[in-house]
Amino acid sequence: MSDLSSSSSVTLSADDFAPLPHRDDIHGINRPSRSYWQDAWRRLKSNRRALFSLWLIIGLLAFALIGPFLWQVDPSRQDIDQISQAPGADRSAEIVPEYTAWDGSVQPGFESDATGLRIGADANSQSVRLIWDAVPGANALRLYRNIFPIDGELAFGLPIAEFTSVEAGFYEDRLDLRPDTYYYTLVSLDQDMNLSAQYQELAVDVRRVITLDEVRERELVAPDVELALGDEVKLSFHPFGTDYLGRDILARLMSGARVSLFIGIVAPFLFVLLGVAYGSTAGFIGGKVDQVMMRIADFVVALPFLLFMILFQVVFGIGPGESGILPMLVALILLSWPATARLVRGQILQIRQEAYVSASRLLGAKNYYLVLRHMIPNTLGVILVTLTFAVPSAIFTEAFLSFIGMGVAPPTASWGSMSNEGLATMLTHPHELIFPAIFISLTVLAFNLLGDGLRDALDSRMRSLE
Amino acid sequence: MQEPISTEEGFTRSAVKQLAVFSVLAVLVIVAVMYALNFIAGLTGSDSQSAAGAVDIENNEISVFLRQDPPQLDSTRSTDVVSGTVLGHVMEGLLRYDENFEITAGLAERWEIEGTKATFWLREDARWSNGEAITAHDFVFAWRTTLDPAVGSQYAFIFYPIKNAEAANTGDMPLESVGVRALDDRTLEVELEQPIAYFDKLVAFSTYFPISEEFYESTNGRYGAEAESLLYSGPFRMTSWVHGASIRFEKNPYYWDADNIHLDAINIAYITEDTNTLLNLYKDSRIALVDLTAEMLEGAMQQRWHLDRFMDGSVFYIEFNHRPGRLSTNLNLRKALRYAQDDGELVDRVIKLPGYLPAKSVFPVWLRGVEDTFREEYPAPESEYNVALAREYLEKAKQELGITEFPPIVLLADTSPVATISSQYYQEVYKKNLGLDIVIDPQIFRQRLAKMSSGDFDLVLSGWGPDYNDPLTFADLFASWNLNNRGHFDNAELDAQVRIAQNSMDQRVRMDAFGKIQDILFDEVVFIGNYERGRVYATNPQVKGILRRAIGAETDFTRAYIVPESTAP
Repeated sequence: MSDLSSSSSVTLSADDFAPLPHRDDIHGINRPSRSYWQDAWRRLKSNRRALFSLWLIIGLLAFALIGPFLWQVDPSRQDIDQISQAPGADRSAEIVPEYTAWDGSVQPGFESDATGLRIGADANSQSVRLIWDAVPGANALRLYRNIFPIDGELAFGLPIAEFTSVEAGFYEDRLDLRPDTYYYTLVSLDQDMNLSAQYQELAVDVRRVITLDEVRERELVAPDVELALGDEVKLSFHPFGTDYLGRDILARLMSGARVSLFIGIVAPFLFVLLGVAYGSTAGFIGGKVDQVMMRIADFVVALPFLLFMILFQVVFGIGPGESGILPMLVALILLSWPATARLVRGQILQIRQEAYVSASRLLGAKNYYLVLRHMIPNTLGVILVTLTFAVPSAIFTEAFLSFIGMGVAPPTASWGSMSNEGLATMLTHPHELIFPAIFISLTVLAFNLLGDGLRDALDSRMRSLE
Repeated sequence: MQEPISTEEGFTRSAVKQLAVFSVLAVLVIVAVMYALNFIAGLTGSDSQSAAGAVDIENNEISVFLRQDPPQLDSTRSTDVVSGTVLGHVMEGLLRYDENFEITAGLAERWEIEGTKATFWLREDARWSNGEAITAHDFVFAWRTTLDPAVGSQYAFIFYPIKNAEAANTGDMPLESVGVRALDDRTLEVELEQPIAYFDKLVAFSTYFPISEEFYESTNGRYGAEAESLLYSGPFRMTSWVHGASIRFEKNPYYWDADNIHLDAINIAYITEDTNTLLNLYKDSRIALVDLTAEMLEGAMQQRWHLDRFMDGSVFYIEFNHRPGRLSTNLNLRKALRYAQDDGELVDRVIKLPGYLPAKSVFPVWLRGVEDTFREEYPAPESEYNVALAREYLEKAKQELGITEFPPIVLLADTSPVATISSQYYQEVYKKNLGLDIVIDPQIFRQRLAKMSSGDFDLVLSGWGPDYNDPLTFADLFASWNLNNRGHFDNAELDAQVRIAQNSMDQRVRMDAFGKIQDILFDEVVFIGNYERGRVYATNPQVKGILRRAIGAETDFTRAYIVPESTAP
């Protein structure tokens, strides 16, 4: 009995009534708790396109902000020797003496027994000096230059000069000489000054040359390097080529990126801010005030942008040589906010009816607390998406306005003005148009894709589809 | 994140199939509709224009272009090159320029200029395009109308050598007192203020064209506004003028020299300034002539085109503002600006068109002197590219002005491609060589002139095209009384020399005066020469006899003719 009683009886001590220690792992919840933003970021990361766009935008910002420190070339410096140079073109040049005017005499070493059209001196990119003998039977002579050998069609190329005297003569050609082979022809003209089939042809190989002073002035070699005539130096390196005034396209793209990204980021930021303030006020107050405020917004939507741009330029008193960026910024802000305002107002109207807002109000929350703590954070997703979509449109507007000449003042570059300048030489030097065009397209595309990804990541209704 | 995938595979497949069939159908329908529309357009559209090639041998006509719609075909008021080109085809005055750029008989069969009296005898067969005779009264009417202060013609000054013309134009004397009289229907007598050597050249200018008074009154103030509201005295008459789109000239059967006009019609099928459009039109054989830009030259050589060039006579230069208080009034600054630039570099390396020449003088190279060209007889003073010298002058200028640093200098310029590129070139040159900040003020042509007139600039890229073939058209540009002297340069010695050149009958004395003017302009650095403009152009090899020149119609097709392909060289 006692055994049974002893074995079945439990002796409880005071210790048994002590609370158990707190254990975290007891429910086995393995997923970490995430905030709204962590969740959004995770979704964004899983969206490859958006992530790639994000990196692209970071790269573009680095290009604009850090690039100029790495590539220290003045974007307005003109390299007259390398005008409209395509990327990767040969840039070696030989050092020759200073150019001096020519009196038609034959340079030593170039005397020859040859007759007809011939060169009287070393032919280089400074000048090609031609001499010829009298042409009997002609009434006048015309000198042509071509980049192709003359064939049966008698297309002689560029008319360079005309001579009324048919005696022995000389001519110095300095017109845009590039390292190439030129075919000169001296054609006889008949009594009516029409071309006859009688001509003399000469092929001239032109080398690119540079003078010692120019080498030193442009610091093409280190100052302590000894140079002699005949040495070969490399002209300045332009990785993306040069434009129609010999300016470095890479440097211009970098300084242009600053203008484009400045407008593209500052303007949307400011007008979205304005739109949020306006829209939330209208939506929160509601009633007649909302009606009046939204009609004002409708009125602003109806204003023509370009006309206002011009008016702002006048009002700001944009003088010669001043950049039109500030009026552009003001016009963008004053005319672009209604879209955001409408969106935010709609959201606020909706959120105003939510139970948690009423609860907060019952607990004594003030209006500004309700707006700032409950309403705007809940519309932040929409706002952010609007912002990212506003950026490419602002960049595009800047490019368009600079393209039609209402943006930056020369010599400042912007992608739009560079495209405009490149358009003229589109057929012969396409790189002058293609590079800025690529940058505009890439930026606009990157911001659009990022906006798209952000919308997917932030939209709470999308979460249930997962 | 993956797109949601449809759960029913079979449905998706059939949907894809349907979609494919539908898209193929859609493409087919679109193509069919496009063909149908094209066919309908062909039925209704006026293919007289679109189908006509550059050279129409059958109808003996050619198609060409104009850069702009002519703003004003009333010869009393027209001031621009485009109107001048159109008027040059449809109108003729007493005298005209021939193929070799010499003055020859126009509506006047002979003329006599002696002292202050000039007499013109009109041709018996000089007729308007409606068949009526052109009389001396038509000239009297046209000239008086131009001088009428109520008309306000900008080119009235070109009549000022005529007696009392200036006074009549300012309203101080009645129009009847102007020294031009019709002695009878065929004799016109002009009385001049004083003997002038170049009156025959003035008479060839478009403002001197005749106007039929009866017809002018019948247009109710719309003279020259439409093709129908003009009477034509020239080799062609305008049969259609669709503003901004096209113009058509047909041979004027009443023209006295109609036998020597070979074309039956000239079709101005396109009015555009876009050089790339024009190039494509030429490539497609839609126009018989095209002007080329530097970028197009390589392509033109590849196409084996026959290229020509000509000087259009204009000179372009940087002009200074001489109004008091402007920095540009300082001679040493102007000298610095001149020595800091290399005039050849702009032409040879930046503009790089073979027709262009560096402007070493305000007098272009083609002007006639006494026996040879003016520039051969009076060589322009040579400037040099000397940065060290330029910096010295700049230091002197700083001392004289009492400043240590120059404020930004405003360079006013046109918005044309060449003006844009030149202004940016100079901006960089002066920045690099002198450390000067140049701000460019790009303005459209009219606005540039307005800003020049109001003195709102320091430097301006400006230019001048000749009105008549005499150095005086350039020499009086900087005379203190000239309204085109918008920089207000005022130099008594220059004014005196211009007066000599205006009043003397002796060519040697006049040329000496021009030579002195050239020196004064250089010494005082009144301008920095940029270039004499040229043009490189390609012409259809079947069209011959096209004239391009500095004065009158810039492109003159009046004596052009078509050679059939087989005989073209």
